[in-house]
Amino acid sequence: MGKRVLIVDDSSTMRKIVSRSLRQAGLDFDEILEAGDGQEALTLLETENVDLILSDINMPNMDGMEFLRQKKEIAAIKNIPVVMITTEGGADIIGEAKALGAAGNIKKPFTPDKINEVLSSVL
Amino acid sequence: MNLLENIVGATKEIFETMIMMEITPGDALSESVTEFKGSISGVIGLAGSCKGMLAIHLPDSVAMSITSNFLGMDVDEVNDDVTDAIGELANMLAGNIKMVLDVAGNKVTLSIPSCIHGEEYTMGCVSDADWVVVPFDTNAGQFLVELQLQCND
Repeated sequence: MGKRVLIVDDSSTMRKIVSRSLRQAGLDFDEILEAGDGQEALTLLETENVDLILSDINMPNMDGMEFLRQKKEIAAIKNIPVVMITTEGGADIIGEAKALGAAGNIKKPFTPDKINEVLSSVL
Repeated sequence: MNLLENIVGATKEIFETMIMMEITPGDALSESVTEFKGSISGVIGLAGSCKGMLAIHLPDSVAMSITSNFLGMDVDEVNDDVTDAIGELANMLAGNIKMVLDVAGNKVTLSIPSCIHGEEYTMGCVSDADWVVVPFDTNAGQFLVELQLQCND
């Protein structure tokens, strides 16, 4: 099976732009899955295998921090790397995400080059 | 902190990085704009030690043009793609302002984006808040970015 990525963001616009940016960055995943919040992502991960998760932080229902918190307690998915893509690039937010297991951070607005730079160090 | 400078900087960065559209900031308005016609407004609430809102107000035609560039597809009506894109635009702007406020020692949280769209609507001010409204010109027309802010002493 080829590489699969899960994009978690409540904005359909941002999910489309992240998908496009992955292609523009030359990161050709075989399949791109999408979820609208942390809870949807956890439900999807019960049945789907992915190699990487890109997640927003500020989302309704279950935000990105709670998603990280719950994911690291689930043995089957706790080792999947998560890179946060967020408008909130403050040191406290990045530090909290890192403490919860995030492998990297991409601040919005971003370029395909920035995505490539961060994901190259994670994948 | 210079709110005007930060709004202009954040808006230009977003348009240059992700929307690929040239924008030119104008002089800050001397009076707030509260009435809008045939427009869409993306709004983010700020809470915590600074309260207020950040909004971007665009005529429908400008919102459609920006969304078209943002998503790389033709847009000929104000649909869910447009409201979502304008909400995300407000979200990115507010995230930048939050960082500036946090660095200055405040603790601010952001709401989920909301969008208002209609033939005619009115938006009021937070009482006693400082505010700044900056117009930006594009080849599709003009839009406004507004910040209303009331910080604890």
